[in-house]
Formats: sequence, C-alpha cells, structure tokens
Amino acid sequence: MAFSQKRIQKEILTMTTSPPPGTRLVTETMQTTKEFLVEVHGAQGTLFAGEQFKLLFKFGDRYPFESPQVMFVGDHIPEHPHVYSNGHICLSILTDDWSPALSVESVCLSILSMLSSCTEKKRPPDNAFYIRTCSSNPKDTRWWYHDDKV
Amino acid sequence: MDNDRSHDNLKEQDYLKDMPNHEFDEAVNTMQSSIQDEIAASTDLLGDKLDISMLKNEYSADDVQYQKKIQNLEKRYSHVRKTRGDGNCFFRAFGFGYLEHMLSDKKDYPIFQENASNSFQKLMDLKYPSFTVEDFFENFISVVNSVKEGVSHTELLNTFREEGMSNYFVVYLRLITSCQLQSDSDFYQNFIDGGKTLVEFCKTEVEPMYLESDHIHIIALTSALGACVRVAYMDRGGDDLSFHDFPEDSQPTLHLLYRPGHYDVLYPR
Repeated sequence: MAFSQKRIQKEILTMTTSPPPGTRLVTETMQTTKEFLVEVHGAQGTLFAGEQFKLLFKFGDRYPFESPQVMFVGDHIPEHPHVYSNGHICLSILTDDWSPALSVESVCLSILSMLSSCTEKKRPPDNAFYIRTCSSNPKDTRWWYHDDKV
Repeated sequence: MDNDRSHDNLKEQDYLKDMPNHEFDEAVNTMQSSIQDEIAASTDLLGDKLDISMLKNEYSADDVQYQKKIQNLEKRYSHVRKTRGDGNCFFRAFGFGYLEHMLSDKKDYPIFQENASNSFQKLMDLKYPSFTVEDFFENFISVVNSVKEGVSHTELLNTFREEGMSNYFVVYLRLITSCQLQSDSDFYQNFIDGGKTLVEFCKTEVEPMYLESDHIHIIALTSALGACVRVAYMDRGGDDLSFHDFPEDSQPTLHLLYRPGHYDVLYPR
C-alpha cells in the first residue's frame, strides 16, 4: 500500500537525520524498507549504561494502522523483567495499544525508557516456559501485560 | 447445517485444547484475522444507500420487537447506508455522513472547517508528535476542504471506500476525539470507569484503530467539531426506538442508526 511505504520512508529519513538520543538506525545493512535494525545504547546512570543492543523492526502492509513487529536481536539481549531471552518484548504499545500516531521514534523512546527505569536486572518470571513455547513472531503472542512500573 | 457447524465447533475446541501454547496463540490470531477478512470481503467500508425497508429482512418476521421498531424507523427515515463492522464504524459513518450532508447543505461547513483546521495546533499543544500527526491532518483537511471545492458525491464516496484514505481519515477523527477528551479532562474524567486515567483511556480505547466507540467518544467528537448528531438506538431494550441528540437540544445534521456494537448512516424523509 502506498501509504505504508510513504510513511516508512519518512520515518527512515527522520531516524537518519535526527534520531532520538541513544539510538542509531543501522543503514549499512539495510536492504529493504520493510525491515531494519536500530542500535540502542543504555543511558548513562542506569543499569544498562555502556551496553549496546540491536532492535529489529519489521513492517507489514497495514502499517501504520497496525503495529510494526519489534524485538531485540543479536548476541546481547537486555536482561530486563519485560524482555525475554529470545528478544521478545512485553510492551503494550507493540500490540493492543498501538496507535497510528506512534512511530519508530516513539517505540525507541518507550523501549529506552523501559530500560532506564529498570531497578533489577532479571528475566521475566515465565522466561524459560515462554521461549520454549512462543512463536517466532512476538505479535503472535497474546500478551498478558505485566505491571507497567518498570 | 447448524448441526454440522456445532460439530465443527466442538472439533475445533478439542483441537485447540491439545495445542502447545504458541500454536494456540497463532491459531487464535489466525482465526481472528480470518473473521476480519470475512467481514472485509462481505461488506464495503461504506455500502450503497439502501431503502430503509431492507432492514426488515435482517430479522425474522416473527421478531415482533424489532419489526415494530423498524416500522417506526421507516416513518422517519427513507434510507440507510451501511458501514463495515470493523470497530471503526462510528468514525467512518460520522466522517462520510457529515461531509456528504455538507455537500448539499453548507450551513454547518464554516464552523466544522474552522474546528477541523484548529485541531492540529491543539494536538501540538498536547505535545503530540507533529511528525506522524501532520500526515493524518493533511490528508484529513484536504478531504474536508474538498467539500468546499466542489468534490462530487462519487469522489467523496470513493475516498471513504478506499481503505488507505478512509483509514487515514478515521485515525485523525480518533485523534480529534482524544484531544477533546484531554483538553476537557476535568469533565470527561467522571465518565471513565475501570480506574484508568483519562490519558490512559485515550491511549487504550480511543486512539487505537478497530476499537468500538461509546457515548463518550460521540460526545467528545461532536463537541470538538461543533457537529450535531442524532443517534437512533435500536436494541433489545424497551418497546420503541430511543433517540439521543449530541449535543442535547441541538438540531441534528447527521442521523445514525445504532444497533448493539454498530453504527450506520440514516437519511431522514
């Protein structure tokens, strides 16, 4: 759909020229506008200071009416109560509470803020079970959201 | 036929019960999206104008309560235009219905256009990202302006039938609604139950697409745009239709038919 392409191109442009602090669009390996990686740097003064992570964004044809698929990828997955060791993130704006007024930028900011407010590095309590049973697409999980304090 | 179906349902339940977690989630999602696809294939985003008497065929002849209510509808209204039941029906019915009305009667246009134009700055004042909101606004206002510029009825209808354009319009109406709720939060907060704050309510029940609208959405949207809407309620309650005007005591410009969970456009005689 033309709308989704136009919108993603605009987002790529913004992420290239003025990315939110602590993020960087990985343009070197970008092959299509349907998916790309964003580097995320843990903020100074938080448990993740000095650490670097990679987020994978994938866009369907119904973007922005439907949310992008977003997950951590690579060797280093943040140890956080809402992040499973396979990279899946339990964050309501990525599924039920997605709004077309949100964007790659706002998703990055939410994830950064989720990391920054973490008070103890640990995995979700159901991690072992979840990663054994979940689908490869986090959007296929019917999330039952944890508290939003962290 | 019915027996077959209930048998299938049972089989489906057994099948689901034995599934591992992830397959279960996937199966539920697949089922949901196939239901959505079925709805999409069987109804246009906006249908054609139909004679109001067509509604009779949707209920059995011995459904006395509904048949009587439809007779009463027929006295007041000549036609109905159906919308797709995708959770956006109120916004789509409102958007198209209001603009369609203003094609022939420009009385409400200046105030509607002014409120529509000012809405973008109001969203910016609430710190919405101009980056995404701008696109929706530009598309929205160009459709609103096309009414003044003499767009044809067919073109307007096509705009609302084309999924991308139509959904862009719906997104922005949702943003206007959210903005109005937040701008007058002291008033609207009283109507929010379930312990949500008004902002949470807007983020989870107003702005996301495909979520159904309630009274509070209608009150907020009509008051944001200075629009006057009458809703005819046809449900299992009471012996006769009931009507609500938004705002109260106004002279309605647009008429909508509400049946549980759904809105369509009505045309007065």
